[in-house]
Amino acid sequence: MKTRELAFAVVGTFACGLLLWACCGGDDAPAPSRWDTKSPPAITETAPAQPSAGAPTEAAPAAPAAPAAPEPAPQEGGAFNTFFPGDGIDGVSRVFSQEKTGFAEAKLTKDGTEIAVLSISDTATNPAARGKFASATDKLDGHPVVVVGKSQTSVLVKDRYQVKVSSQTLTEEERKTWLQKFNLSGLAGL
Amino acid sequence: MSDSTPIFRVLEALPQGGLTVNLLKGLDYLVPGEWQNITSFEGMIRAVSGEDDQSLIQAIGERALQLYADPQEGYQRAVWVYQKLDSVDKVAGAAAAAQKLGERFSALSFMNKITPKADTTQAIDAGLKFAGELVAFCLCNGIPGDRVADFAKSLVQYGKEDKMRLAAWLAFDCILPLGPDFLGKITGGLQQLTTSALSGNGMFQQIASYLPGSIQEQKKLLETNLAQSSGFLTNFVRSHNITPQGVLDKVKGIIEVTDDRLDYVAATIDLASNFYEHTGVQSVARRLISRAYGEI
Repeated sequence: MKTRELAFAVVGTFACGLLLWACCGGDDAPAPSRWDTKSPPAITETAPAQPSAGAPTEAAPAAPAAPAAPEPAPQEGGAFNTFFPGDGIDGVSRVFSQEKTGFAEAKLTKDGTEIAVLSISDTATNPAARGKFASATDKLDGHPVVVVGKSQTSVLVKDRYQVKVSSQTLTEEERKTWLQKFNLSGLAGL
Repeated sequence: MSDSTPIFRVLEALPQGGLTVNLLKGLDYLVPGEWQNITSFEGMIRAVSGEDDQSLIQAIGERALQLYADPQEGYQRAVWVYQKLDSVDKVAGAAAAAQKLGERFSALSFMNKITPKADTTQAIDAGLKFAGELVAFCLCNGIPGDRVADFAKSLVQYGKEDKMRLAAWLAFDCILPLGPDFLGKITGGLQQLTTSALSGNGMFQQIASYLPGSIQEQKKLLETNLAQSSGFLTNFVRSHNITPQGVLDKVKGIIEVTDDRLDYVAATIDLASNFYEHTGVQSVARRLISRAYGEI
């Protein structure tokens, strides 16, 4: 009898433990996150058209029904460097900070303080980025210009190269002034 | 040599408190306001972009996750290197601690025969960490590893987590254990290291594949890299007034130190903290998000 009770106790303890383990996840599974909501597609894949990252008034048009043409191979980031504003303009230091396939970035600093981030990207790596320019009403040297959120102004050159000035301190006009310091016509010839 | 865990999980797994965080906060007096312990992916997106529109934050985050998920982009490997730099800490720290025991307790003096001198261990450790910083910088920013001058120039522009990591390296890996002549000791340690000893070094084996050239050329690259940056590093220490006593005073407020021997305190920090991984993950997340913000 005692042996039987002991067996029940062991089995019961094991069952309770198993139940507790199952309830608690047991495998240290991380808590769900908003960033889990979708699995990121491969970078080289042509992304589907998606809502613009810009202000609500600049929402992207609906995705075209026809399949998109294949994207060209993206430019190397180093190919963009020559089209950035020069170093030392108005006492502002320009230092390149990232150079990746399809992307180049530089930081502007004045008296040791960062004032803006400049970038050129090849939208061949992220075609959805072009969508927001469809409703652009402003232009710079004939290229469409949009304001993105609170801190960015962006121009699309040759319907392919996106040039951005991002700053949490510069005004919209000042950001546009810095966009004008890029060699946009040179970039259009790339 | 990388981990495909999404970057938001890697960032959000960082501790919000504890020894590493307290030590880094303790160094705020050296680089005031440069570092905040951001461990939320959304928080980092807000800090980098200044945006608060949720759809825009989502778009930036999703692009950043796409970029990180591609191993060819180098961001995963940069995180891996930063994690490995703290593994070096653990090994070098253990060796240094053993050396202390050997010196303190005569019964264990035999340890002197198998444990390298603490100064040499720490100097090589510090030198390899600096090389690791170069490697991680190049993986993250895409600047080829042989363009040493570019890295030296970029050091001057370091800010935020990068600047805090540099300050922590100088304080805990250089000034505290090696003293004001830390550069001479590191340079000497690297120069005396034979290429065979270097090739047998576990940490070097890990980062060597990211450095160009033969092992001799790689060793030369480490030395040149350090030499090119020496003026900046010396000036950084001087202008930020990083002194052994100043660092020790801060550490004493965080760790119970019963012995004022600086190399012993440094070894304790080596063993118990992981500030390279902590700030390195934050640096990679920041650069990734900055790029994503530029590309969307």
